[in-house]
Amino acid sequence: MIGRNRYKNRIELLQGTLDMLILQTLQWGPHHGYGIVQALRGNSGDVLQIETGSLYPALHRLERQSWVRSEWKQTESNQCAKYYRITAAGKKQLASDLSRWQQMVDIIGAVMHRTPEGEEA
Amino acid sequence: MSFFARSFSRRKADLDEEIQAHLQMDIQERQDRGQSAKQARAAAMREFGNVPLIEDVTRGTWGSLWLERIGHDLRYVFRQLTRSPIFAITVTATLALGLGATAAMFTVVDRVLLRPLPYRDAHQLVEIKESGKRGTVSFGTPFLDLQQWRQRSHSLKEIAFYSWNKHVSFLDGKTGSTQVNAPQVSANLFALLGVHPAMGRNFESQSDGSALSGEAHTLILSDPVWRTIYGADPNVLNKAVKLNGESYIVIGVMPRGFAFPLNGAAPLVWLPTIIGDKDTVHTRNITPNYQVIARLNPNVTLRTAESELRAIQPDVAKEYADPYDRDLVTSIQLQRYEDSLVETDLRKALLALFGASAVLWLIACVNSTSLMLARATAKQREIAVRGALGASRWRIVQQFAAEGLLVSAIASALGLGLATLMIKFFEHGLTSQFHIHEKLTANTSVIGMLVALTVVSALLCSIWPAIVAAKAPIESGLRQGGPQSSSGAAQYRTRASLVVIQIAMSLVLLVGCGLLLRTIYALRHVTLGFRTDHIIIANMTIPAYKFAGQNMTTELYQPLVDRVNHMPGVQAAVLMNAVPLENTFKLQFTFGVAGTSAADVRRRDLVAQFRAVGPEMQRVFAFRMLKGRFFNEGDTASTQAVAVVNRAFVKAYFDGDEPPEKILGENLFSFSNDKRAVVIGVLDDERQVSIAKQSQPEIEVAIPQITPGTGFYKGAEGMAMDLAVRTDRSPSSIVPEMREMLRHASPELSDSTFTTMDQVVEDSYGSQQLAARLLIVFGGSALLVCITGIYGLLAYLVAHRTKELGLRIALGARRGDVMWLVLRQAGWMLLSGSTLGLVLAYVTSLLLRTFLYNITAHDPWTMAAVTLLLVGGGLAVSCVPARRAATVDPMEALRTE
Repeated sequence: MIGRNRYKNRIELLQGTLDMLILQTLQWGPHHGYGIVQALRGNSGDVLQIETGSLYPALHRLERQSWVRSEWKQTESNQCAKYYRITAAGKKQLASDLSRWQQMVDIIGAVMHRTPEGEEA
Repeated sequence: MSFFARSFSRRKADLDEEIQAHLQMDIQERQDRGQSAKQARAAAMREFGNVPLIEDVTRGTWGSLWLERIGHDLRYVFRQLTRSPIFAITVTATLALGLGATAAMFTVVDRVLLRPLPYRDAHQLVEIKESGKRGTVSFGTPFLDLQQWRQRSHSLKEIAFYSWNKHVSFLDGKTGSTQVNAPQVSANLFALLGVHPAMGRNFESQSDGSALSGEAHTLILSDPVWRTIYGADPNVLNKAVKLNGESYIVIGVMPRGFAFPLNGAAPLVWLPTIIGDKDTVHTRNITPNYQVIARLNPNVTLRTAESELRAIQPDVAKEYADPYDRDLVTSIQLQRYEDSLVETDLRKALLALFGASAVLWLIACVNSTSLMLARATAKQREIAVRGALGASRWRIVQQFAAEGLLVSAIASALGLGLATLMIKFFEHGLTSQFHIHEKLTANTSVIGMLVALTVVSALLCSIWPAIVAAKAPIESGLRQGGPQSSSGAAQYRTRASLVVIQIAMSLVLLVGCGLLLRTIYALRHVTLGFRTDHIIIANMTIPAYKFAGQNMTTELYQPLVDRVNHMPGVQAAVLMNAVPLENTFKLQFTFGVAGTSAADVRRRDLVAQFRAVGPEMQRVFAFRMLKGRFFNEGDTASTQAVAVVNRAFVKAYFDGDEPPEKILGENLFSFSNDKRAVVIGVLDDERQVSIAKQSQPEIEVAIPQITPGTGFYKGAEGMAMDLAVRTDRSPSSIVPEMREMLRHASPELSDSTFTTMDQVVEDSYGSQQLAARLLIVFGGSALLVCITGIYGLLAYLVAHRTKELGLRIALGARRGDVMWLVLRQAGWMLLSGSTLGLVLAYVTSLLLRTFLYNITAHDPWTMAAVTLLLVGGGLAVSCVPARRAATVDPMEALRTE
């Protein structure tokens, strides 16, 4: 039961927003995959749980697009991990993703918050 | 590939490590929060999910997954193939045969028919010839006629002309003189071809295309001549060089790769054509004739240009004073220059042979398809298992395609080797029949074609089985007991029809092969009319310029032939323009304007071979005299001029079967103004032009009687001469001595080529010989492939019906009945295949018509014999599986489940 509730409390990620979230997270500095998951979870108040099954393909896809670069580095706990760093092209992409996202939020918001005309009359 | 594989596996390890690091960090954090190591690990793994799946999906984003898959497939297929080597060898060998044959023939087709011409917009270039009562005039057009075309035609952009008396010239270089071809070209020719000298300048052109008279002693070198004779000397321009003893100034060097005309063997230099007084009249044997090449205006078709010129031509013909000559030039024949380079017959012959090789390739593909189909059925269970485990149909098709590709790639590598072998084996025939002067090797376009064919073969022989396999329902495939009987029967029918197709196509090749073998047999049994054994021939090119002002008969020929006659082991030696059956040099005789009687007019149509020969000729060739006598030592320059004709000439001269002695004593022509030649003998007919051609009218004159004052002195003595020697010695022992003797007579003659009369005879039916040999190879391979196809299918049939056959025998069927059951299948396939094949052969053997001699393309005996061979062979191999079926042990068969 607990598991189910926890699941319910999570929000399914909207299609296409994962790339943007990853790039946004990397804005604050290089991260490894695990770090990204933790950061997103923390920043969303434990609501946003990224599926690793989507995260790694997404990271590799972003790298292929040259929006992020990766290198092997030591973590603070002396663990060897692959760190991803956003590139200039990635930053540009993030800006464009963000503006598109903002547009979409505005539009959907406008549609959803609009009071039906018939009722007002 | 190996580098790629390595980098790929490194990336894989990298990804694995990345994920392990992720898990480690998660576990660490959970432990920090107080979970036990075991709990932490389990939770982390649970949260992470299916590691291999995630890795797989991630690798999918790399974009090289398909490459990895192909790598996997190829490795898998390779393992599978090594596990069934007989299948692998059969398919590869079959395809290699087909691909090799096709690649070899394509090498020739590419060289002969697809060669790009080294001229600008070569498709606009046309060759113009006059034609009339006696067909197309091949020896050329007078300047007056082509001037009229130039002035009146609107469809031609420009007209150029050249003359090429095919005898060789001698160019003096640093290291002695070299044989070259020196065509005389109009000054505008190179501009018309769109090619400019790489160095120096072109001939100065007048408005009529001819060169200024001041240019008479200039010449332009071809790139090969410049490099080989002048060592690529950059200062060669304006130097004086000697051509045939005359001095010329080099004014230009043409670019590398340029040649004109294209069908010559010797290196080229070009002289300008100067128009003289002789060009202003139409007088036979005086007015020079030129070959004409023109460039069409853009957007003008060949037909438009031709009809325009045909409309102009009656006015051109009017200018001829002689009505007979006028009738010879009433019309025009226009042909693309590129088409004029290869005779129509030759092109057809080549395409027919190429077609034959393509048929062999198709047979190979069909056979491989059939084998692949059988294999797909055998693997049905495996495929079903893979399908059940989640392989998509597309994936399965891919795997089959990979199998097809691997097999045909190996086959094409083998095929390339085979093609090289074949070309080497047939090199003499191919190069001499198709007039190829360069070395025949597979070039890039051949490789390109081979790669394309390989892919097509792979698709042809793997796609269909793949689709069949992928479409098969998984569930029935998984069920114990293998393929269902219904799908097995359908598959058998499909493979049977493939075998029928193979039989039909093989029969087509075999019919062609049979027809050519009959032709060769017929040609070998033609009575030539002279002996060909123990004769050695030196083909000489005469440096006539060295003997200007001398009598070549007494200065060169008589001493030479005397000396050779005294060589040890020589029974007789003779000089003649060209030995019979050798068509390197030809002189033609026609009657001039004589009278107006019907016989005189008719005789003007008579074209006779003209040969200057020595009196020893009869002792060398041992031909038969019909009437009168042959030349002897008594015929000299100071005695009565005499001539000998052959029976065919007598027939044409009198227009009927008059007795040959009637011509004895006739005055046919004159040696010079006061010297008429009298006919003293008639030769029996002999095949002197080609083995396949009846004897042509011929006139012979005696060399000792020819002097510089003789009208035909230059043509008969100054160009080409063959020295024929009857001897018991082997060529290898006598040729060096003869060469030395020729060098002694004149240094240039040591370049003569030597051959034997038997070889000349062989070469004269070379095209049939070549076609026959190629078709034996193609037809034989087809027969082999087709018979293995029949055997394979019947063996499959017997193996699959073992149980049924055992049951039949157990129920009392006689062994003979069982054998008959299998043989009936073979008979059915052979019968329908042969019927289909005969219908096809009826059409396709017409393509071979140009090769055939003394046999029709639809010769029923050949067709019957070949069909019998195929059916007999097919039935013979069917006996093996049939016997196996008959010896099935019913107990064994029923026990096998």
